[in-house]
Amino acid sequence: MARFDDSRPEMTLEEFRLLRDHVYSHCGILVHEDMKFVMERRLWPRLEALGVSDFGAYHRFLRHDPNRHAELEAAVESLTTHETYFFREPSQLKAFREELVPVLERRNARSRRLRLWSAGCSSGEEAYTLAMLLRDERRFEGWDVEVYGTDISRRVLAMARRAEYGPSALRATSADLLERFFVPAANNRVRVRDDVRAMVSFGHHNLLDEAGSQLVTKMDAVFCRNVMIYFDQSARRRVLRILRDRLVPGGYLLLGHSENLLNLGADFELVHLRGDLVYRRPELPALLRSEER
Amino acid sequence: MTTLPEFPAEEEVRYRALQNLDPQGAGVLDVLIAGLHDESWRVRHAAAEGLQRLPRPGEVAARLVSVLGERGETGARNAAAEALAGLGGAALPPLVALLGHADPDQRKFAADILGQLSLRAAEPALVQALADPDLNVRVSVAEALGHVGGHHAAHALQRLLGDPEPLLRLAALEGLTLLRTPPPLSELLPLLEDSRLRRSALRLLGLVPQVAATERICRSLASPSRSVREAALSALGTQAALESMRRAEVESVARAALRQLPDAAARLAEALEADDVSVRAGALLAVAALGEVSLVVPVAEAAREDRLLREVLATLGSLGAEGGRVLLVSMEVLSLPARAAAAEALVDLVDASSVTALCALLEWAEDDLRSVVVRALGRTRSPDAARPLVDLLGEPRLAGAASRALSALADSCRAVVLELLEEAVLSRASPEAVMALGRVGGAPALPMLRGLARDADPAWRAAAVEVASEVDIAVGREVARAALADEAVAVRVAGVRVTGRLGGPEAGALLRSALQDEDVTVRRVAVEAVGVSGARDRAAEVERLVLHPDGGLAVAAVRALSRLGRASPRVLREAAGHPDAEVVKAALLAGAQSPEGVALASSLLSHPHWDVRAAAARVVGDSGGPESLVLARQALEAESDALARRALVDAVARLSRR
Repeated sequence: MARFDDSRPEMTLEEFRLLRDHVYSHCGILVHEDMKFVMERRLWPRLEALGVSDFGAYHRFLRHDPNRHAELEAAVESLTTHETYFFREPSQLKAFREELVPVLERRNARSRRLRLWSAGCSSGEEAYTLAMLLRDERRFEGWDVEVYGTDISRRVLAMARRAEYGPSALRATSADLLERFFVPAANNRVRVRDDVRAMVSFGHHNLLDEAGSQLVTKMDAVFCRNVMIYFDQSARRRVLRILRDRLVPGGYLLLGHSENLLNLGADFELVHLRGDLVYRRPELPALLRSEER
Repeated sequence: MTTLPEFPAEEEVRYRALQNLDPQGAGVLDVLIAGLHDESWRVRHAAAEGLQRLPRPGEVAARLVSVLGERGETGARNAAAEALAGLGGAALPPLVALLGHADPDQRKFAADILGQLSLRAAEPALVQALADPDLNVRVSVAEALGHVGGHHAAHALQRLLGDPEPLLRLAALEGLTLLRTPPPLSELLPLLEDSRLRRSALRLLGLVPQVAATERICRSLASPSRSVREAALSALGTQAALESMRRAEVESVARAALRQLPDAAARLAEALEADDVSVRAGALLAVAALGEVSLVVPVAEAAREDRLLREVLATLGSLGAEGGRVLLVSMEVLSLPARAAAAEALVDLVDASSVTALCALLEWAEDDLRSVVVRALGRTRSPDAARPLVDLLGEPRLAGAASRALSALADSCRAVVLELLEEAVLSRASPEAVMALGRVGGAPALPMLRGLARDADPAWRAAAVEVASEVDIAVGREVARAALADEAVAVRVAGVRVTGRLGGPEAGALLRSALQDEDVTVRRVAVEAVGVSGARDRAAEVERLVLHPDGGLAVAAVRALSRLGRASPRVLREAAGHPDAEVVKAALLAGAQSPEGVALASSLLSHPHWDVRAAAARVVGDSGGPESLVLARQALEAESDALARRALVDAVARLSRR
């Protein structure tokens, strides 16, 4: 059995709750009661780096120290290791490609501009997947197409920009896709091809930050998959308001398969596709349409 | 069925119309009840949601119960059930009354919804309803009791274990598992003989912390049925989690059983992929018991589920150096969370043979993973680890971890580490090299440290000041005194901290100007240093900071005064009125053992912050006399926060014994 370092402080239930509430008020991410052990393990390195003796002192550091904002970001980064991979939830991607992409093509035929947002993109797999799907669609040649990936963690954004991945991230990627969109990299890893990387940009964004969201351009579709599960109802409502605001009228919101907008009273229409259910920001009345975009 | 003639035709419009209804509006109850009958499940759900927001929930509950009786309206009845389950206590009286309805279908609905409500107040009615003549109703009632809980519920469910009807015995087993109340082993073991009950009985057996239970669970690991094996694994995981002290015992019994199975590793690999987290938890324990190194990758991958991190670390740790070696060469195929868990485990598994693989990992791994790898390198006890660690001193994000790792590595190969550190300092790798050099080099490094305390770069001066005092007190005092007048904040902070740590009769005088420093960080560290050094001559200045609007400074002041023995009742009162809850808690801690502190704590039992109330309860429990008992009991009655309640329950128990 591992000799877990006994000199490291244990987190009391009260410390857990104080830290959890602090994180929640910053970014809406709710750490559940049964995650105390995980929080303790993930924050230990932060205590060590700061030379702080226990979690109570760490909480006071987050409350009072002049460097508290930077440290809170570091804490949130430590707590949000989200696992993802390329071509996740293939049936949804298929529905997007076969049913929504043609709609977006028709709608944007004049502007020849397409914007997708991977909100909570983690290490970039989803954003690159979307770029690969669009790349495969000859219909957008000559268009101004961009996929924008955002995450609250600067650490995963650095990984996303590096665009190098190991076998775990490729577990749902076929040999054909691997051949077409990746090049070999060192250490048994692969790198996303440059032409795909050129379609994707990344930015740091807290999904609850209304002011920060103004920096995000109006989107034709937002992929926010397996992100809402980390929020409680109230934070979900706030996030949805922001996502809706960043969508063009008629723009689509795609959530993870285990997520829906029930009980959230969000102002989205449910759209029944053949292969999926997605949400849509309602169109503006005809008179107002020209004012958008 | 009620219908509204002008109900809009399009689903989306109907959905929105219900969502936007004003709960106070006239006739809204009728509209929502009509919405329960809509053809669209989304609209029905919106109606059920809307009903939960209406005023007069008692009236709403009565209407909903009447919908439950509409035979043929399955969608409406289910939506009504959903709405009732969301109404809370208001739904209780009509549902309890419904348990006496002539129609067994209605009685079953009542039991199901009472189970969803999970209100303890339903316990007596449900226990009574176990005598219902209809079997389906009794089964629903038994299931509901598992959710409602209580002593009588558990007792009633235990009695059901002897019922001739297997469905009831099954519901009782599930209910007792939910209540985490296993019956005596003698009552449970016979149920394992019934194949219909075996899985549920096994899961309940997991809650029995006895060797006989563990042995019986392990026998089921050999079952040809996958579901039985999984139930046994789930039970094993439960057993180990019940009392961590028993883990070794559980592992030992499991090991003996698993060694009898020729395909144990394959079965465990399969179980590590199970949907049920509890099965995966049991499988992790079984892998540890078996010492199955070939499963190291799926074990690490189990960390993709955060809740299994503890078991994953324990299992990886149990696979020893061989497991560590396999893990190290597998890092590149692991997912991100698996890599993080694996790196954490590796810190305890590495040895001198791991250096090359760890260094390879440093080439490509993510930054936070690299910091763990750095820690692991420090524990390899290999001189080969020194060079890569020294090189990392030049990377700002890893320099601190590398410095600490080098200090650890020096325990086994000091000469190599020291030589490389001297090189690093001379080549000005980073100030962290100075810290490491001081800690590893000791007295012979002092001349270099003295020189560095006068370096042009403030970060290097600060590092030299900090570490010199660890090597030699006299030199430490000297460089710290000079640092107090440094123009750079980082150096003054280092000087203040060292002055506090070294103490002595001059400390108060030396810290005087730091207490008035223009920089708040220096002032805060100075306040802490006053407390650490015992400089009572500075107490008056520190007292004035108790009311400072910067909560950090005020907390430091209260703590320093407490250390100095100068936390007077006036100081405590002032601090207790501070708007920052952390200051109030510091005051409670400072006065914890004094009568004034107890009085203060008593007055704070109704503070708006739960953490202050919990802290106050602890003080009252620790130091209050019998006269505090009434207050604590009153506070307990009014307390709604779980943690503050826990502290109050403890306080009441302790005060009652006094």
